[in-house]
Amino acid sequence: MNGTLQRMRNIGISAHIDSGKTTLTERILYYCKKIHRIHEVKGKEGGGATMDYMELERERGITITSATTNVTWNEHSINIIDTPGHVDFTIEVERSLRVLDGAILVLCSVGGVQSQTLTVDKQLKRYNVPAIAFINKLDRIGANPFKVKDQINDKLGRRAALLQVPVGLEDKFQGLVDLIRMKAFYFDGPNGEIVREEEIPPELEDLAWQYREELLDTVSLLSDEVTEAILEDRVTEEMLWKAIRKGTINREFTPVLMGSAYRNKGVQLLLDAVVNYLPNPSEVENIALDLDQEEKAVILKADPSLPCVAYAFKLEEGPYGQLTYIRIYQGSLRKGDELYNTRSRQKFKVGRVVRMHADHMEDIEGTGAGDIAALFGVDCASGDTICSPGLNYAMTSIYVPEPVISLAIEPSDKLSADRLARALNRFAKEDPTFRVYIDPESKQTIIQGMGELHLDVYVERMKREYRVEVVTGRPQVAYREAITARADFDYTHKKQTGGAGQFGRVIGYIEPFDGQYEFVNEIKGGHIPREFIPSCDKGFQAMLKKGQLIGSPIIGLRVVLTDGQYHPVDSSDIAFQMAAQGAFKQAYKKARPQILEPIMKVVVETPSEFSGNVFGSLNQRRGIIVSSVEDGTYSRIEAEVPLSEMFGYSTVLRSMTQGQAEFTMEFLRYARLPASLAEQLMEEQRAKLEAEEKK
Amino acid sequence: MVKKILSARSPIKTLEKNLKGGYGPGHLGVFASRKGVGKTACLVQIALDRLFEEKPVIHVSYASRVDYIISWYEELFKKLAGLENLRSEMEIHDRIVRNRVILNFRQEGMKTEQVLKSIEALLGPGHFSARTIIVDGFNFYLPCAGDLALFKKFAADRQLEFWFSCSLRGDDPLFDDQGLPFVLKDYLSSLDIIITLEHDDGRVRLNLVKDHDQISNKKLRLELDPQTLLLTRI
Repeated sequence: MNGTLQRMRNIGISAHIDSGKTTLTERILYYCKKIHRIHEVKGKEGGGATMDYMELERERGITITSATTNVTWNEHSINIIDTPGHVDFTIEVERSLRVLDGAILVLCSVGGVQSQTLTVDKQLKRYNVPAIAFINKLDRIGANPFKVKDQINDKLGRRAALLQVPVGLEDKFQGLVDLIRMKAFYFDGPNGEIVREEEIPPELEDLAWQYREELLDTVSLLSDEVTEAILEDRVTEEMLWKAIRKGTINREFTPVLMGSAYRNKGVQLLLDAVVNYLPNPSEVENIALDLDQEEKAVILKADPSLPCVAYAFKLEEGPYGQLTYIRIYQGSLRKGDELYNTRSRQKFKVGRVVRMHADHMEDIEGTGAGDIAALFGVDCASGDTICSPGLNYAMTSIYVPEPVISLAIEPSDKLSADRLARALNRFAKEDPTFRVYIDPESKQTIIQGMGELHLDVYVERMKREYRVEVVTGRPQVAYREAITARADFDYTHKKQTGGAGQFGRVIGYIEPFDGQYEFVNEIKGGHIPREFIPSCDKGFQAMLKKGQLIGSPIIGLRVVLTDGQYHPVDSSDIAFQMAAQGAFKQAYKKARPQILEPIMKVVVETPSEFSGNVFGSLNQRRGIIVSSVEDGTYSRIEAEVPLSEMFGYSTVLRSMTQGQAEFTMEFLRYARLPASLAEQLMEEQRAKLEAEEKK
Repeated sequence: MVKKILSARSPIKTLEKNLKGGYGPGHLGVFASRKGVGKTACLVQIALDRLFEEKPVIHVSYASRVDYIISWYEELFKKLAGLENLRSEMEIHDRIVRNRVILNFRQEGMKTEQVLKSIEALLGPGHFSARTIIVDGFNFYLPCAGDLALFKKFAADRQLEFWFSCSLRGDDPLFDDQGLPFVLKDYLSSLDIIITLEHDDGRVRLNLVKDHDQISNKKLRLELDPQTLLLTRI
């Protein structure tokens, strides 16, 4: 283990896509002497950035899976998780955040707070992750860190203040003025590795004092000591560092730093800030649930001498077997230790323990509380908790969104079916938002995920990593069915065909319900014996899997059983299941069912000159334009659009805006499908059923 | 239709009936008062009145966050729906959302040409056929005769009605003898209707101070309930 707990940081780098976080990570690795040469994203020299370790990521210039790596800065051990920025891969971001103690929120000095920044910011807040902001790309035309700082306050609702002001901007960007030390810093040498301290240039003095005052005003809200010191004019650097650290860890304050990773400026000062302001693992409270004591919450202590509690947050299938990334919250683990997976209730022996560096790894003997490492050959799923034998804890499980899109796939040749199965098995294990099933009717393999790009990436990975060419069908939207009115049922299932008969009668009603499904038993007087009530529930639930309109799952339904009848000999579990199914069929159509479609929240960011075209394109797609926020030359248009209308939108948007606009989308809610489209779907379903009957 | 009934009973209709020259396409109206008296509540109720009739509305805001504006609509819709016992509340709500677009301009000194260009983008290529434009947070304290002339021309060309809010500030007196806010006196040629909001014994009264060519300090038979922020007839 590198250093003690106090000298350890687990941080993530979160940002909107294209804010330059991979470039920033690359520079961090370089200045921490983990790599000896800088590669750029989409580099011409044949190599992509070190953190984008998959071939596909290099080609597309985007980060898909998080790579974790360990660096040392000022005698502090920092584990960095590079997180993907696209909303389709947010499960990766969420998993990373779950195990982090702090984050760097990267913003573009031109784009400022963009749609994805809002999503990432929400996630940071959900997992109570303290953050420092880094305004990148100060060398770009239109860079305005002051505006971005205001946006962090206004749009993200954070209490933020600048810790630095720039010396020059755009192509004249040279260095930074530190508002705590009141010194200017420049970054010399071919890769900015030599940090030179100077006096503040006279022309920047007024600006620097103005923003220092703003910083002091903000920090004084966090610390009485600083407030008093300001009044008595005796503020020290240490006092400010301490107050900023406290404010950041308590998530009351967001320090704002800046620079240009691409131009090698400002990264070392950012690393200083990571060490100075973000918490060490012992400063963050982590809670586990004790499964032996009715899930009572237990506070974990980052003490290496206690029994071990670790959380598997990421799996990867490599050429040498499964690699499991873990965060250790309590105790320590070493090679040869025996550990216990509390979900599968299986014990296992720790084989190899490694520390990851992008795509190469370093073998270590073991490590302790607070650290992130990877284990080899452990059979577990992501989200599992691993403990020392004797403990039976589970870390709070992470939130997993439901997939909204599905795609039928088929290997182009029968020989690769095996490899396809292996690939699917691995992806599903690694990513809980990626699901696979075989459609019982069509016998097709269906993959499900969070969006078109999400599934595209997996189809590409099948090709590249498993050499499986697949033929894909048209992406299918995950429709649902729901009833809109109450309807009564009174159904008797009766069968007498020699031997023991079947008899069950159920009376009651179904009605719309706010949640997924509810079963209420209001029978008094034992008209249906208690042991058959669960059979009724089971029978109704079986019917929810496939609605009668288009065969989609039914949501938002409550069944209330008010009466019934049984036969002392002929009633059975199966008879009441059949009765419930018959009752459901009887009531469903009367309950005015309708088809629901997933509606996505779509955010388009575009130069304002194209906003008319964007409005038009969203309107054409049955979208509701909720708002458009204009900020100088850019517009951020928010709309609600049915997912089925969004296929291929990225191509349309690109050609409409000369490639200058981008969009993100995420699932918002289910809404009623317009009658004409519903009719069309039902017609297709009828045709499908008829065709199947003929077969 | 429930919505029609709701709209017909709306105090906004009472307001319009009181205007001698009526109100409609090509007109610019203003609600003026100090901050926090209820201008935005009045604007949103005008918008809701149009939305109940399924007429699309564009809400232009210079200051507030989008979620803040939406919450104004949600609050007042809920109160109106509660008052009128709307049965298909959700359905009407969804239609309202569909017929409303919020345009938010965050930058200080955003040019009126740009604002009109964005509205045009929505009306033209965006196929959003609004006839009512609500403008909240416009700064009348900056010289803006030229801007208002542009709004006026745009309203006439595109057959739109505009409703503004004007936040009054500074020391008293804010109004002249006729009840006209001093800050609006230079812009009378562009503004057709000026209504001021005034605190009066725990109530908020509405005064019609400019009705097209007439300057008259006429107390309207309308007030804003300070509790619910709904306009009611007296």
